[in-house]
Amino acid sequence: MKLQNIWFVVLATKINFYLLEYSLKYISRYKYKNIFIVLIMSTLVALLASTFFLSNAMKSEYNKLISNYPDIVVTNQQALRDTTINENSSYKILEIKGVSNVIPRVWGEYYFLNANKKFTILGKDEYEMYSNPLLNENLNLTKDSMVVSLNVKRILEDSYYDDYFNFIKADGNVKKMLITSVLEKSTLINGELLIIMNKESAKEIFEYSKNEVTDFGVSVANKNEIPFIAAKIKTIFPSAKITLKEDLKVHYENIYNLRSGFFLTVFIISFFTFFIIIYDKATGLNSEQRHEIGILKALGWRVGDVLNTKLYEGIIISLLSYILGIGLAFIYVYVMKAPYLKKIFLNNYSLISNYNINFSIDYETLALLFFLSVPIYIAATIIPSWRVATLEADEVMR
Amino acid sequence: MSLQQIFKLFSLTLFLSATLFAYPQITQNIKDKKIYPMGQKIYKSKCKEKDFTNFKTYNSLYNTLNKEKACGDLSKKNVEILSVYLWDIKLHNSTSLEKLVVTKDEKCQVCGMFLHNYPSWVSRINYPKDETYNFDGMKCMFKFYFNNKKGITDILVQDYYTLKTIDARSSYFVVGSDVYGPMGHELVPFNDKKSANIFLLEHKGKKVYFFDEITEHMVRSLGH
Repeated sequence: MKLQNIWFVVLATKINFYLLEYSLKYISRYKYKNIFIVLIMSTLVALLASTFFLSNAMKSEYNKLISNYPDIVVTNQQALRDTTINENSSYKILEIKGVSNVIPRVWGEYYFLNANKKFTILGKDEYEMYSNPLLNENLNLTKDSMVVSLNVKRILEDSYYDDYFNFIKADGNVKKMLITSVLEKSTLINGELLIIMNKESAKEIFEYSKNEVTDFGVSVANKNEIPFIAAKIKTIFPSAKITLKEDLKVHYENIYNLRSGFFLTVFIISFFTFFIIIYDKATGLNSEQRHEIGILKALGWRVGDVLNTKLYEGIIISLLSYILGIGLAFIYVYVMKAPYLKKIFLNNYSLISNYNINFSIDYETLALLFFLSVPIYIAATIIPSWRVATLEADEVMR
Repeated sequence: MSLQQIFKLFSLTLFLSATLFAYPQITQNIKDKKIYPMGQKIYKSKCKEKDFTNFKTYNSLYNTLNKEKACGDLSKKNVEILSVYLWDIKLHNSTSLEKLVVTKDEKCQVCGMFLHNYPSWVSRINYPKDETYNFDGMKCMFKFYFNNKKGITDILVQDYYTLKTIDARSSYFVVGSDVYGPMGHELVPFNDKKSANIFLLEHKGKKVYFFDEITEHMVRSLGH
C-alpha cells in the first residue's frame, strides 16, 4: 500500500464518526445562524481573494510590459521641459563601455479632435535592434503606410477613415497615411491607442528636422553597470533627464499603489467585521449552549469528546466557507474576468486600459487567507467550549 | 618645381586621400554596438543568398550596393552600414564565440552553487571529446584550472562590460574591485586592457593582470 493511503486509513480510524454525526446535527440545529456565518465568511474570503488575484494579475502584466523597456532613457531638457535631442549625439553614449545599444527613438502623441482622443505615434526603423519583440518584427512599412492598434482602428472607423488617415501637420498641410494592418495585441507601454510608422514619416508629422529625435533608449549588457552608466551619461548631457527602468517601475507602482490603497481599506474593514464575529463567538456561549455541554458531561462525555465535536463543527464551517469563497473568487476573476472591480483600477490615464487576466494559482494569497480565516474560526469555537467543559456538570447547569 | 608640378602633386594627394578615406571613419565601439548588428539584420532580410567574397576594395563593394542596387532599394545610410558590415565581417571572417548558456539544474564544479542565478559570471573549461565544466565565477574556474591544467582545449569567460564570450587565455582580469560575484571577491574579466583600466578606476580595483600573471596563491587569497 502506498504511504499516502496508509495515512488516510490512520486518519479515518482517528475520526470518531459518532461525534462527527453529532456535530453535523448540532450545525443543522442552529441552521440559520450557521448559514449566516458561512455566508459572511465566504463573502469576505471571496472579496479579498478576488482583489488579490486581480491585483497580482495586473502587477505581472505591468512587469511584463516594463521588461521590454530600455534600461536607461535619456531625454533632453530645456528650461526643465522635455525637448528633442540631436540623433548624432547618440554616438557619444555608444562610446561608453558597457552600453550595448542606443536607439534614437521618435515617438509622441497626436491629438485627434473628432474623437477627442490622443494617439501614441511610434517611429520605427526597419533595421534597428529593438528590445521589444513587436518592434523587431518586419512590418513592411513604407513612407505612406502605418500599422494601428485595434482601438485606433475602431476610433478611425467611427470617423469614416476606413483604410487611411489624414494627419494635420503644424503648417496646416495634410499627410495621408494608409493603414496596412491592425495590431491585435500590443506588448508596448501606452499600447492601447498605438500607431506604428516609419521613423521618417513620424518625423514629418511631428515637424522634426532631419537629425531631431525624441529621446534615446539605452540598453546595457551587464545590468550591474546601469547606475554607473547613468552617471556617465549625466556628465555628457548635464541638462538631460535620465530615467532608469527601475525608476519607471517605481513610478508605475506608485500610481498603482494609490489605487490599492482603496483595497487596503476594504481589507481592513472586512477583517474588522470578521473579527467582530469571532470576538462575539469567543467571549462566551449563551446559556442554552452552556446547558447542552453540561448535559453531555452529566451523561458521561469526557472533555475531549466535547472538544472533538466542537473541532469538527469549526472545521466544517470554516473550511466550507473558505472553499466556497475561493471558488467564487476564481469564477469571478478568471471566468468572468472581474467586471466592475477591474474598472476601479483603470482610467483613461493608466498604463493599460485592457489587460489580460492570465490564469495562475497564487499560493501565497491562498495560504494567507487560509491562515487568517480557518484556524482563527476553529480556535474561536473551541476555546469558549473548553472553558465550559472543564467545569463540573452541576456547576454549568445551575 | 613648377607650379604645374605642385598642382599635379596636390591633386594626386587629394585623389589618394579621397580613396583612403572612402572607408567611413567609425570607431570600433560604434561598429560593434550599432553597425554590425544592424548590418547583419539588413543582410539577413535583403540579400542572404548573394556572395560578397570577391571584392578587392571597400569602394567597389559600396558602389555595387549603392549604384547597382545589389541588395534592393536601401537608403544611403543603410547602404553604408551594410557595406561596412560586409567588408569587416563577411570578407575578413571574424567570428565570435557562442554565448555561454546554462540550464536550470547545472551546478558549479568547484563550489556546487546553481549557475542560472548568476548568468553573467558563468565560465567554462573545455576538454577534448565534448568534456565541459561550468563554473559560477572566475575564482572557481581558476581553482579548477590550476589543478587540472593538462589537455584543456578552451577556457571561456564573459567580458564584464559586453557579456560576450571571450577566450580567457588572452583576457585581462581586475582584482580587488567593489564588484562582487556569486562567491564574494572576484577576478573580473575583460577582453581588452583599455576596458580593464576603465573598470579599475571606476570600481576601485587594485590591479589588472593578464591571464598568465595569475597565480594559485592569488586566487586562494581572494577567499573561498
